[in-house]
Amino acid sequence: MTPSTTSLSKLRRARKASRANGAYHATGIAICLFFLSPFVITFLASFRHGTEARLPPLPPWPTGGISIDSYLSLDTFGAGIWQHMINSLIVSIATVVLTVAVSLLAGYGFSRYRFPLKNVLFVLIIATLMIPFQSILTPLFIILAKMGLNNSLLGLTLVYVTLQLPFSVFMMRNAFDAVPKEIEEAARIDGARDLKLLVRVLLPLVLPGVATVAIFAFLNAWNEFLAALILLSSNEKYTLPVLMMAVRAGRLGAVNWGAVQAGVAVMTIPCLIIFLLLQRYYMRGLMAGAVK
Amino acid sequence: MTETGVVLTDIRKSFGNLEVIHGIDLMITEGSFVVFVGPSGCGKSTLLRMIAGLEEVTDGEIEIKGRNVTDLDPSDRGIAMVFQSYALYPHMSVRENLAFGLKMARTPEREIDARVRAASAILKIDPLLERRPGQLSGGQRQRVAIGRAIVRKPDVFLFDEPLSNLDAELRVSMRIEIARLHRELGNTMIYVTHDQTEAMTLADMIVVLRDGRVEQTGSPREIYENPANTFVAGFIGSPRMNLLKTEYAGDGSAWIGKNRIATQIDDKQVAAGDRLTLGIRPEHMNVGTDGEGTMRARVDFFEYLGGTQFLYCQLEDGQTVTAEHRSPVPVQAGEILHFRWQADDLRVFDAEGLRLRPLDRCTAQRGQSI
Repeated sequence: MTPSTTSLSKLRRARKASRANGAYHATGIAICLFFLSPFVITFLASFRHGTEARLPPLPPWPTGGISIDSYLSLDTFGAGIWQHMINSLIVSIATVVLTVAVSLLAGYGFSRYRFPLKNVLFVLIIATLMIPFQSILTPLFIILAKMGLNNSLLGLTLVYVTLQLPFSVFMMRNAFDAVPKEIEEAARIDGARDLKLLVRVLLPLVLPGVATVAIFAFLNAWNEFLAALILLSSNEKYTLPVLMMAVRAGRLGAVNWGAVQAGVAVMTIPCLIIFLLLQRYYMRGLMAGAVK
Repeated sequence: MTETGVVLTDIRKSFGNLEVIHGIDLMITEGSFVVFVGPSGCGKSTLLRMIAGLEEVTDGEIEIKGRNVTDLDPSDRGIAMVFQSYALYPHMSVRENLAFGLKMARTPEREIDARVRAASAILKIDPLLERRPGQLSGGQRQRVAIGRAIVRKPDVFLFDEPLSNLDAELRVSMRIEIARLHRELGNTMIYVTHDQTEAMTLADMIVVLRDGRVEQTGSPREIYENPANTFVAGFIGSPRMNLLKTEYAGDGSAWIGKNRIATQIDDKQVAAGDRLTLGIRPEHMNVGTDGEGTMRARVDFFEYLGGTQFLYCQLEDGQTVTAEHRSPVPVQAGEILHFRWQADDLRVFDAEGLRLRPLDRCTAQRGQSI
C-alpha cells in the first residue's frame, strides 16, 4: 500500500468518525431540548407582566420586560404562598426523615437477621404496593380522625410515610443485601455493634439506597394531592398541590395564567434542588474496593 | 513449657437439623502456626468462624489463652481475622481502616497513631495510608487487611483463605510475608486453606478435616510421611499418592496383577483375603528392570516439567498409577515400564482405609513414647 492511500483511508475513517460523533451529539442535544423546554417555557413565562400573562403563550418569554407580578398574585391565593410552601416543606422533609429512618432499620433487619416468618412478612409488605391507596382513603380518614390527627400536617406525614414504606423497605433491603457480609463481620471483630455498626460502617455503604429512598419520598410527598385535599380541611394547612388546584380553578371563572406559571415554577425548583443534591450518590459506585 | 493458645473441646455445630461439625477436640500451643486444610465443605471455615465468634457454637467450649470465650463477642476474644475478600471498609482511608478497631475500643489518639505507624512499617504500606481501598491493588489490599489485624495486637490471628484471590506470583510472595510476620510477631496463627502448598510451607501443625471431623493432626512431615488413612494419604501431596486396591495374600504379601508385593504386614493384623489398599507416592516409584516385587505398567501419557516428568500409567489390572520420573532418559507413551520401590516407602491401609503399620515398628514406637 502506498503512503497516499493509507493517508486517504485514514482521512476517510476520521471523517466517518466525526460524522458519527456529530450525529450522536445532535441527537443528545435534541433530546435535552425536548425535556428541558417545558421547564424553561414555564420559568420564563412566570416572569411576564400581569397584563401580558393573559395573552396567547407565544412567544413564551417576557416581551415587555421582566416582572414578578405573577408571583405577587400567586401570594394572594389561600393563606399566602409562603405558608403553603412551608407546609409542603414540613410534610415532605418529615416524610423523608421518617421514611429513611424506618426503612433503614427495616431493610437492615430483613437483610441480616434470621427470624420466623421473615419472608412471609416481607412479601406482605411488598404486597401492599398492589393496593391503590385511593381505595383506603376512607379508612385512613377514620383512623386519623379517631387519633385526633385529621387536619394536621403530622397526620398527613404519617400517611405519606406509610404509603412510601413498602417500596423503601424493599429498596433498603436490596441495598443491604449488596453489602458483603464480611465487611459487617470485620466490623464486629473490630468491636462495632448494633447501632454503631449500622451508622459508622454500613450507612455509608448503603448511601445510594438512602438517596434513592429520600428522593422518592420527597417527590411523592411534595407532589401528592388527593390525600392532602381530603385529610386537610383548613386553609392555612393546605400544601402546595392543593393551593395549585385552587389557583388553576381560577376566581369567578377567570384563570390567572401568570399565577399558574409562577406556582408551577415554585413547585418545581425544590424538586430539582433535591434531585441535583442527591443524584451523585447513586451515580457513584461506592462499593468499589471493598472486596476483591 | 509451652502454654496453650487455643483449646477446642468437643465443638459441634448444627444448621437446623444438619450437624456439620461433629465434635472436634483440638489443642493449639501458643505461638504455633496451625493450618486447617481439607476439601471444600469440610467445615474448616466454619470452625475458624466459630473460633472468631462469627458463628455460634452449638455445643462444646472454646478457650483462648486459658479464658473460656465460647459466649463472648468477637471483639472481646483477643482475635483478629483476615478475610478472603479482604473486607476493607471502602468509605475509609487505609489509615482509618487500620484505626477503626482501636477507635471502637476508645484507645487514646496517640496510641492509635503509634500502632498504625508500627503496623504500616511492618507491612510497608506507609505510602498508602491516605488512599481508599478502591485505589489499591489486590496485594496492597490484603496487606491492609493484615495490618488491620496487627494493630489489634490479638492473641490469635485467624486467616480465612487470605491468598486465594491473588494471582500465583503474588500468592507466593504474600505466603513468605505471612511466614515472616509469624516469626516476627510470634502470635498464634490459625490459617484456613485448601491449598496444600500453603499448608505444607506455613504450618507448624496441619489439621486435616473432612466432613466436619478431624482426620489427622501433625507436622507437615508427619502428615506427608505417615498419613493415618487413605483420605489424608490422597489429599496431601501433589500429584496424589497412588492408592492401589488389592487383597492380602497372607505371609506379608499382596498381589497386584501377576506381581507379588511385600507389604511388611503380619498375618496377625489381617487375614488372607482381606482387602487392602497400598499407597506409594509418585516420587518413590522408580523405573527398574523386571523381577520380584515390581509392577508392570504401560505409560498412557506423560507431563514434562523440565526438572522432572510425571508418568500416568496403567497397570495390568486396569488401575492407574502416577510416577515421578527424574531420569533424563525420555519416555514414550505406550512404553511398558517396571516400577519398584523401597519397602519402607510403601504405606498399607486396611479395608476401612485406616493405616496398618508394620508390627515391629509399632512396638518400637510405643517403646519410645513410654
